[in-house]
Amino acid sequence: MTREPLPFDHRPDPALGAALRQALEPEEGSHTGFVARLLARVDDPRGAGSWDRVLARWARVGVAAAVLFSLAAGYLVGRATAAPGPSVAEALIAPRTPVVEVVLASVLGN
Amino acid sequence: MKADSQPPEPGARIPEQDEAALVARVRAGDRAAFGVLAERYAGVARRVARAVLGDPDDADDAAQDALLSALVKLDQYDPRRPFGPWLLRIVANAATDRRRRRTVRRVEQLDPALVAGGARPDATTERRALSARLRAALAELSHRRRMAVVLFDVEGYSHAEIAGILGIPEGTVRSEVFHARRRLRVLLADWKEQE
Repeated sequence: MTREPLPFDHRPDPALGAALRQALEPEEGSHTGFVARLLARVDDPRGAGSWDRVLARWARVGVAAAVLFSLAAGYLVGRATAAPGPSVAEALIAPRTPVVEVVLASVLGN
Repeated sequence: MKADSQPPEPGARIPEQDEAALVARVRAGDRAAFGVLAERYAGVARRVARAVLGDPDDADDAAQDALLSALVKLDQYDPRRPFGPWLLRIVANAATDRRRRRTVRRVEQLDPALVAGGARPDATTERRALSARLRAALAELSHRRRMAVVLFDVEGYSHAEIAGILGIPEGTVRSEVFHARRRLRVLLADWKEQE
């Protein structure tokens, strides 16, 4: 608070900072009671932020993520190891009637 | 809680070393580690919430809600990034939401004896008077401007970090800090003249 700030000064003003900090500090001068009240809320099993509920939520999210990961991995591995499909020539000489796409692919390829 | 009895200098940052390890312990289910984390950040969370809300009880409720919300969302936190800005974004949102919901605006009344012209018997009274005047001065600013100047000058965060916390461009943060400082200086000018 002792010097006029330059436009968009990038340095914190220590005097103003100290005065503001003093103004915003809680009256009791300590955070012990605040943290104790917070931890009491965490320990309250009925509260939305209770420790058990939080752990259960994380576990659910973890299980869901693991299931999704497993499904995705299974799909990718299955696709990579699957037998390749018949070639165009194989499809054309196959006893059943070739589908339109195979015939078109053959014509375009030539 | 040693840091509480002797608050660090303004602008001093909470060390980020072993913070990731502390968060990892909480995520592994270590409740005591959450207590340590809460102790570390209680001060900054309460100050930022009070800058937004003014009323200390409202601010404490908002700061507690934010810390609990952070605990619930801790599985979404990216440990490669600093924890402080991530948490303070939650605090800022919680305080702003509470401010919107608040139906009756409680404005701190200045004790006439503490305002300009009153006698100043000792340093403690003088300090309290200056604090009350600063809180009143802060209340004159927009809540975004308040948060910007407090995060910059009190908590020591950079413009870029504050931009991330408040969700606004860095240039806007610079502007908000500059205008907040200028406004605070104007409001406090008569106080300085009496010194």
